[in-house]
Amino acid sequence: MNSRYLFGEAWAIAKSGPRHTAVAVALIALAFYVPGLFALVSRNLGRLAGSAREPTAVILTLDAAADARAIAGRLAEDPRLARITIVGSAAALERFRRAYPDLGSAISELGEAPFPPTIEVTLKPSTRPAAAREIAADARSWPGVDGAESEEEFAKKFRDGVRLLRGAGLFLGALLTVAAILSVASAVRLALDLHRDEVEIMRRMGATETAIRAPFWLNATFEGLAGGALALLLLYVTYRAAAQVLSREPHPVLSLFWVGFLDLPTAVALPLVGGAAGFLGSLLSLSRSRKS
Amino acid sequence: MAPEERMAGSAPMIQLFRVCKDFGPFRHALADVSFTIERGEFVFLTGPSGAGKSTLLKLLFREELPTSGQILVNGRNIAVLPESQVPYFRRTLGVVFQDFKLIERKTVFENLAFVQSVLGLSRAEQKRRAYQALKRVGLHHRMNSRPPELSGGEQQRTAIALAIVNEPVLLLADEPTGNLDPVLSEEIMKLFSEINIRGTTVFVATHDVELIRRMGRRVLTLEKGKLHDPGAAREPALAQEAPFLPG
Repeated sequence: MNSRYLFGEAWAIAKSGPRHTAVAVALIALAFYVPGLFALVSRNLGRLAGSAREPTAVILTLDAAADARAIAGRLAEDPRLARITIVGSAAALERFRRAYPDLGSAISELGEAPFPPTIEVTLKPSTRPAAAREIAADARSWPGVDGAESEEEFAKKFRDGVRLLRGAGLFLGALLTVAAILSVASAVRLALDLHRDEVEIMRRMGATETAIRAPFWLNATFEGLAGGALALLLLYVTYRAAAQVLSREPHPVLSLFWVGFLDLPTAVALPLVGGAAGFLGSLLSLSRSRKS
Repeated sequence: MAPEERMAGSAPMIQLFRVCKDFGPFRHALADVSFTIERGEFVFLTGPSGAGKSTLLKLLFREELPTSGQILVNGRNIAVLPESQVPYFRRTLGVVFQDFKLIERKTVFENLAFVQSVLGLSRAEQKRRAYQALKRVGLHHRMNSRPPELSGGEQQRTAIALAIVNEPVLLLADEPTGNLDPVLSEEIMKLFSEINIRGTTVFVATHDVELIRRMGRRVLTLEKGKLHDPGAAREPALAQEAPFLPG
């Protein structure tokens, strides 16, 4: 079996049923677009908190004259902490401006800094959830600390929300991938039907089953790759369109987290998984056709 | 293909020993069929419709397996041939059917080259073999035509070219003239004779008794799945060498 035959026949199969090929590619694209969208949203939500897994657990509000570095140094002695971030009044104001651009100019007209300095504390993943409450309770009595709030409940809800989103994306992705595999299998069955005479001639002439099936495998794999690539393209178009809309009409929450596209491994995985789905679909179809 | 694979010694080309083929408990297609065809012979298989001619050819081609009995083709017991070896066994055979089975979207030449590309032959070898086969059937001038542009006789000659393109040791034909008029049928038989003269064993199933009579070759007759007096049906050895006499 030579590559000229393999690629030539795979192309001939695709050309012989252009509508079936287009439908299969579109279904695969849809199957990967939906979970891709979930992945995009959950990835950006993760960015909102700095880390979706470990969002801020405790926030200390400081007196304006407090020595933030000294308090941060005292906090750093606690081995349960993963990260300590000092957010000065100016940084807090900048955050507010980004979140509420319409109100930003009104706030800046005030004579004094509207937001007190704060310290944000993130716990190590192995730390038990109750630790945030204990740390906040201790810190309240420290000089320079105006208040200390545990973000434990919010952090838990946030984590659960992101997990739910990812779970839903994975579930839908699995469901739609099965649908994509079945649609490819159906397209391959139709292609087989269109090429029944050729398959029969090849068998009579002594072609091996591998030689007969290989062009169908290749065709379906390319359909899957094309579907995955199309899904990636659609996702990028969606991302850019949303980013453009948000830049024109900023939203207090969406503008904050809609800041990046899928990471490279996820983006590369989409066409590859599409190709794998196409290959699986053709395997399924061809094994059934052989049995029948 | 190694020469020993093509010509398995001097053993007969086809040997059947008490072959039975049943399709379910009540349909007996072949019952206790035994016969031998030597290398280089040209033999007809005849009988009424439903006698089991096509089933017998399918057994020889290993499209079906016998219910019982042994089948030796070119020295190989194909009743026990592993499935993985079937394609390689088939490469030593040529098969012609009543329905021409050509790929309509490809030209005559591409039809022949296509099957060889599946078998992994080089482009140059594909061209050489396809041209030779088309020349042998007298169709080299139509090599760029597509099957629908050809007459019935030309389509059947293309199918024969397809069957001989791999230079088979045995050519099986199932009602090859079933769709053709008497003149074209004789043309096709003349072609089979020429192929046979070059050393290929030819085994043709047909119910055209008149054609068989004119050809003067050895005849096996099947009736209701049983071989009818094969010894008596055998023509004298000289008849095998007799030239084709049309009309």
